[in-house]
Amino acid sequence: MSEQTVDQEYIHVPILVDVPYRFDAGKYMTRFLVELRDNEKIYGIKCPSCKRVMIPPRIVCARCHVKCDEWVELSNEGTLEAFTIMYFPMTDPTTGKPHDPPFSYGSVKLDGCDAPIDHMLNIEPDMSKIKVGMRFRVKFRPREERRGDLADIEYFDPIE
Amino acid sequence: MTDRVAIVAAAKTGFSPSRSDANYSELAYEVIEKVLTETGLTIGDDIDNSISCSHDIWDGQTISNIGITDVIGGHLRNEEKMAMDGSTAVYYGTIAILSGEYNLTLLLAHTKMSQTNRNIVNNDAFEPIFSRKLGLDYTSAGALQATRYMHVHGIQRDQVAKVAVKNLGNASRNETAHNFGFYSVEDIIESPVLATPITQKEMAPDTDGAVAMILASEKAAKKITKNPVWVNGIGSSYDAHYLGDRDLAMSRALEQAAGRAYAMAGIKNPVKDVDVFEVGEEFAHQELMWYEGLGLCEAGKGGELIDSGRTLFEGDIPVNPSGGLLGGVPANVAGLHSVAEAFLQLRGEAGRRQVKDAGVAVVQGQSGHCGQHHCVVVLGRD
Ligand SMILES: [Zn+2]
Repeated sequence: MSEQTVDQEYIHVPILVDVPYRFDAGKYMTRFLVELRDNEKIYGIKCPSCKRVMIPPRIVCARCHVKCDEWVELSNEGTLEAFTIMYFPMTDPTTGKPHDPPFSYGSVKLDGCDAPIDHMLNIEPDMSKIKVGMRFRVKFRPREERRGDLADIEYFDPIE
Repeated sequence: MTDRVAIVAAAKTGFSPSRSDANYSELAYEVIEKVLTETGLTIGDDIDNSISCSHDIWDGQTISNIGITDVIGGHLRNEEKMAMDGSTAVYYGTIAILSGEYNLTLLLAHTKMSQTNRNIVNNDAFEPIFSRKLGLDYTSAGALQATRYMHVHGIQRDQVAKVAVKNLGNASRNETAHNFGFYSVEDIIESPVLATPITQKEMAPDTDGAVAMILASEKAAKKITKNPVWVNGIGSSYDAHYLGDRDLAMSRALEQAAGRAYAMAGIKNPVKDVDVFEVGEEFAHQELMWYEGLGLCEAGKGGELIDSGRTLFEGDIPVNPSGGLLGGVPANVAGLHSVAEAFLQLRGEAGRRQVKDAGVAVVQGQSGHCGQHHCVVVLGRD
């Protein structure tokens, strides 16, 4: 039996303290981000054992538990593997600004890589206009706007 | 079923205030690669369980282990995370092997304190409605504990400072420590005050680093090394969360944890039966309190024990020959580092800080404000 009275007060205490972070990218992601920022190039890392090309670059292949050190330059073009059209605003943690809905997220597997990159799609957010299997190309931000993070990729443009 | 559990390898990264050259995975792999190479074991064929020790808010990642399962060998396998002190990873790893379910367990503890703000992270450990809004953190709470402890037992200011003199001196013989030096009591007391009575030299400094270790069943251990170190006793205990519910002048949880670990290991008199201690003193005064909780002296006599010189590196009850946490060991990693140090001592591999003929070691780790939780591990050459 639940007893609820309309005049019963319950207090809620807001705590608005933010925990600030400054994450170290480390050796592998630093090289990836420098190539992205300075040279408009996207690099994956190849496992010496199973030969899969991974993105983001990392120290160990989880499947083989061996150290990875072969860098592979990836194409700027790839194939859409999955997507969604978002109807609620998501805050971009690198800018603190929300993306206005509706907009599309897509997983694009760049040619030469075994895993996709998830990013924004520069396409009309319409289910009839986006299809798995479509081809997309990376759109880099202008050099003066690139800061060495994933936002240096502005979005994927559909290839007509 | 296996009867006993041994440590067969341990490795630590260099510790420093900021390891900005490495992310979590790279830091972790540094030590995981070392213990695997040293033992010749592989993740695929040998290691059948992994336990990592880290902390979501320190790491800035919900479920902080999910980003390092690749380096620790958790991919499509079992991996467990615990968020308390690293000594507790040894506790759980030992129990898992004793259950008969696992044979070889990889332990990892990692923290990068440089990436965020210690006071905010530790403030989040407090109950949100009643205590957190005051801004209490481990340092301010530790200062309340120090004042109460000193008042109740008449502990003198210089007796607390002597812990820092001893540990910062000991840390100069520990190649992974970054906070060390030969100081006088006056140097310690006159260093900048953080929260009376605690000064900067009496607090464990912000540190980045990782420690890895391999635990083995008795059968496996004997095949891997001629020099295993046995986990002969473990004990764990929690005190109340709210400081007002505790007696801040003593540590009942440590007494409980030590009592259980000693009983399991057959330790009757820790002063006589144990050769070396490594304890988790986030603040200098806590080492005196842990002496009492570990039964090295009577309640309230921690000050007299440090005065006696018996806990010095050269004394007959050496405590923290590594320099302890004051020497610079990351939060969470702390207790696993202490176990690694005890492992080196019992193998005779502790270099310039080697305690002569060390056969039995006791490690104490703690987590939460003012040592809410304690874990005690008894290790032996036999
Ligand atoms: Zn592989």
